[in-house]
Amino acid sequence: MAQKRRIGVYVCYCGGNISDYVNVEEVAEAVRNDPNVIVSKTHMFTCSDAAQQEIIDEIQAEKLDGLVIASCSPKLHMFTFRGMSKRADLNQYQYVHVNLREQCSWVHTNDKTGATKKGISMVRAGIAKCVLTVPLNAIRIETKPRVLVVGAGVSGMRAAISLADMGLAVFLIEREAEVGGWALQTGKMGPEAQEGTDVVAKLLARINQHENIMLHTQAEVIGKSGNIGDFNVSVRLPGDESLSLNVGAIVVTTGFEPYTPEPDEFGWNAPGVIPLKDFRQMLAETDGSLVYNGKPVRDVAFIYCVGSRQSKSESCTEPNTYCSRYCCMATTYTATLLHDLEKKTGQPVNQYHLYRDVRTYGALEPLYEKARTGGAIFLRWDPSDPPKVSTEAGQLTVKAKDHLLDGEELEIGADLVVLATGMRPRENATLNDVLKIPESKDGFYNEIHLKLRPVETMIDGVFIAGTAQGPKTLAESVASALAAVAKTGGLLMKGYVDLEPLIAKVDPDKCIWCGECLKACPYGAIEKINVGEKEIAFVIESMCKGAGPCVPVCPHDAIEIEGFRDDQIVAMIDASIKELEEK
Amino acid sequence: MPKVSSKLAAAVKCSEEFNADACMHCGTCTAVCPMGYEILPRKLFRYVQVGLEDKVKENISSIYSCLLCGMCSENCPAEVNIPENIRFLRKYINENEFNLS
Amino acid sequence: MPLPTKDILGILADNLNQRKSVLPMSEAKTTRWAKGLDLPMGGKTIIYTGHMYQLIPVIDAMAGQMSKLEDTPITKMMGLGRFANKFVNMTFFMGLLASKTEQADYDRMLRNIALLLKKAGVDFGYLYGEEMYSGALVYDEGIDGSFAKHAQRVCDLFKKHGVTKVITVDPHTTHTLRTAYPQFVDGFDVEVKSYLEVLAESGLEPTQQLDEALTLHDSCLYARQEGVVDQPRELLGKAGVKMNEPDLCRKNTHCCGGPLESLFPAESHRIAGNRIDQLKEAGENITTMCPICLVGLRKAAKGTVQVNDISDTLAKAYGV
Ligand SMILES: Cc1cc2nc3c(=O)[nH]c(=O)nc-3n(C[C@H](O)[C@H](O)[C@H](O)COP(=O)(O)OP(=O)(O)OC[C@H]3O[C@@H](n4cnc5c(N)ncnc54)[C@H](O)[C@@H]3O)c2cc1C
Ligand code: SF4
Ligand code: SF4
Ligand code: SF4
Ligand code: SF4
Repeated sequence: MAQKRRIGVYVCYCGGNISDYVNVEEVAEAVRNDPNVIVSKTHMFTCSDAAQQEIIDEIQAEKLDGLVIASCSPKLHMFTFRGMSKRADLNQYQYVHVNLREQCSWVHTNDKTGATKKGISMVRAGIAKCVLTVPLNAIRIETKPRVLVVGAGVSGMRAAISLADMGLAVFLIEREAEVGGWALQTGKMGPEAQEGTDVVAKLLARINQHENIMLHTQAEVIGKSGNIGDFNVSVRLPGDESLSLNVGAIVVTTGFEPYTPEPDEFGWNAPGVIPLKDFRQMLAETDGSLVYNGKPVRDVAFIYCVGSRQSKSESCTEPNTYCSRYCCMATTYTATLLHDLEKKTGQPVNQYHLYRDVRTYGALEPLYEKARTGGAIFLRWDPSDPPKVSTEAGQLTVKAKDHLLDGEELEIGADLVVLATGMRPRENATLNDVLKIPESKDGFYNEIHLKLRPVETMIDGVFIAGTAQGPKTLAESVASALAAVAKTGGLLMKGYVDLEPLIAKVDPDKCIWCGECLKACPYGAIEKINVGEKEIAFVIESMCKGAGPCVPVCPHDAIEIEGFRDDQIVAMIDASIKELEEK
Repeated sequence: MPKVSSKLAAAVKCSEEFNADACMHCGTCTAVCPMGYEILPRKLFRYVQVGLEDKVKENISSIYSCLLCGMCSENCPAEVNIPENIRFLRKYINENEFNLS
Repeated sequence: MPLPTKDILGILADNLNQRKSVLPMSEAKTTRWAKGLDLPMGGKTIIYTGHMYQLIPVIDAMAGQMSKLEDTPITKMMGLGRFANKFVNMTFFMGLLASKTEQADYDRMLRNIALLLKKAGVDFGYLYGEEMYSGALVYDEGIDGSFAKHAQRVCDLFKKHGVTKVITVDPHTTHTLRTAYPQFVDGFDVEVKSYLEVLAESGLEPTQQLDEALTLHDSCLYARQEGVVDQPRELLGKAGVKMNEPDLCRKNTHCCGGPLESLFPAESHRIAGNRIDQLKEAGENITTMCPICLVGLRKAAKGTVQVNDISDTLAKAYGV
């Protein structure tokens, strides 16, 4: 056994949450005589200020060098007690947390004796682990005050400007020859009338003027190394030139791809069946009545939810189950544009909106109201019985049932059928290979937490925003772009980041570089290095998450996670079965 | 299958007099209408809005059966002026079917 | 087979176009009520009957005939009727069938109204034989072209006599003149008020307290379109009359079915029957304020309950 330690054990009542089922006094009593334990006490609420102060005083008075808190889940209070340890000048990685509430009292409410016994085992294990702790320090990394923004749609452009305004140097990389993304092709955009091209032109003017922004078009990211705060990125420029950039963070705003219907899906490929984008452009380009293929347009049928909100079926094996968010708004807004055109030309255009549910949420609702009261007819369709588009004797026809007429089937002769196609994740093989941002099951880039960490990814220092992360309207895209700006600014303006030291560690003597760990690591944190003659694995500290898939695959037990070392785990198991062995 | 007619839909749209677009199809009007006809007035308006001219013609007698009593519009949560709309339909039929003006 | 809508509407429109009324009547019939009242001809303020009270006995007689036709093969001949009507006023003959006692009854109501206005100190004239039907029915049926022409004629008549204010006596004429005319005649600015409004505003006091209870039937147009709801109640209340209100009253009043009489008599009677049941549930002594309601409900009551015009009760209470 290692050298003797001075450990304090504190067992919590949690005001009854624990003590109603676990006899906490008995637990504290059971470990009091452990050779490494100096103090063993209980508290009604260990997290209370008074209890914390008492513990701090005891740590200092008794010169404790280890701490075991047996209370609630570490998710709730680990940082509380780490902070407490710090204030007591005890290394925060020498405090061990035992989850006596979620893992014991709450799950054994029917067996108090058993719960108490298990509590004792758990605390013993905690002590055993604590005995083997060593002081650790956070890994501090200096960050570079430069950002790479990938994708110059509206999201990327907006993000670039705000990052540059913070005083950061910004490299904005766009794959196409022109910046602006889809906003260039959507005509007048809702809810308040603005030409997408104007929006883009205004942003571009600011970008061109900004001394902190370097814009590269027809450029693509082809390589990345380094880590949060200090990435090296290589970019391919037109004419086989390339560029090396050193940046502290990366913001990915590569946008979406409109859904392309299957042949025959809602009449796709038939003349007169067009996506909303094309119809918007027709509207933007006309200055009189609408004409399609030389024929005046009098009747238009809009079909909503095309390629969104699908369910799995024989014909649709990989459904897009999500709602594309923008299309109800964009289509009802288009209805109001048509109303305006009608007023201007005096030529009525009958509009039939075949929708599933109108999702003009929040402040967008008045658009629906306006479309409806302006004379657009809304017909609801059921996914089990979608509208059928066909061409009969040269006449484009939509057949649909009207729920408001007890399901009566109608036949609408249309000059145009406009499909409100949803958003799909972009094909981006090269970039995905380089950045390795995890994707959600829908195929869009995945954030860490939809509610609480919406623009951060599992790759530290790489942020996502706009429609690259999931379907959004323009306003929502910009909001998320600015959220990414705030997170990037928060990271880079401080000048450094502190990372958890609970990460993988390679024993150079045992390692023979078989490469198993490299294959197992999802974060690309393993590198091969040479130590003298020998090739061994090396952990890039800033990229390792301490997740540990490398540990079990190593055939030589050469890699371990600090804080969860093999000797600690073995000691915990031994300690927790001590009582059994004694019998 | 009833066909949607551009002509009726456009006539309705161009008319200042017909305005049932605010209708949310709650059915209150039909429930309170003294006539007790299933079609009067909500379903009739839907026929008109969608542009089902044949259906409208099939139901001419219902259109002239309305009392213009206003019980419906008094209770309509969307404030649709129902009797005025019925009058518009009569006018449309008088002019297009009966050659009357 | 129901009555042929198209032909009946045709007859109504033809009559209005050619003879200035849907059911043209002799001048003697329309003005008889005013005999002996010494109303001046014309004037800035006039009483305007729109022939509604006078028409009721005629319509009543005619509807009797028509409902006999409903569901008979003769309805097929209606087109022929319309053709003939262009040359001979067919409806005139129907008028001849009107009952004399009924005519006297409705004339009395008009006279009561005029006397009440006089008592209230209102200075008004009458257009006698020049007065015209308002066009209400043609407006309701959506025969807008004929109606617009007619409305212009009535407006010109007002202009010719320098009329600036019109006192109406029934809800249909009130609604047509007050709400429809301004939409059809440019610059129509004649003030239109129902006699019930004029009386209520005048502050006229009753001469006796009536110890009666009656059951009030609101007219749809008065209650919902023209805002005449409180005035009759105020006038009756002042005279101590207790009012029984049916569940469907005031702005939620139930139609008497009258507007359907000319096209769908059977349906009209069904609705009237429903309404009379509702009114009977509320009390006896049913009181109307529209001649169309009056005749329809009276028939539906089939003598089981009294139905009277409000003008009779007011005449009693206010001593005319
Ligand atoms: C028909 C239609 C109508 C719409 N109408 C409205 C409306 O009325 N109102 C509204 O608010 N919204 C509307 N929208 C939605 C709106 O267009 C989007 O929300 C917005 O354009 C998203 O911008 P973005 O920058 O996130 O994505 P994008 O516009 O897709 O921009 C992404 C950019 O990244 C670039 N890129 C992609 N991959 C790479 C790479 N590997 N390297 C470098 N660059 C790359 C692309 O070339 C593109 O320029 C509409 C959308 C459509 C399709
Ligand atoms: S530390 Fe946890 S277990 Fe203890 S009182 Fe606080 S919440 Fe409850
Ligand atoms: S926004 Fe509307 S049209 Fe688009 S997927 Fe959602 S529900 Fe369907
Ligand atoms: S106005 Fe016509 S539709 Fe409305 S309640 Fe009266 S009868 Fe029915
Ligand atoms: S009551 Fe009004 S909103 Fe409701 S169905 Fe009738 S017209 Fe429409």
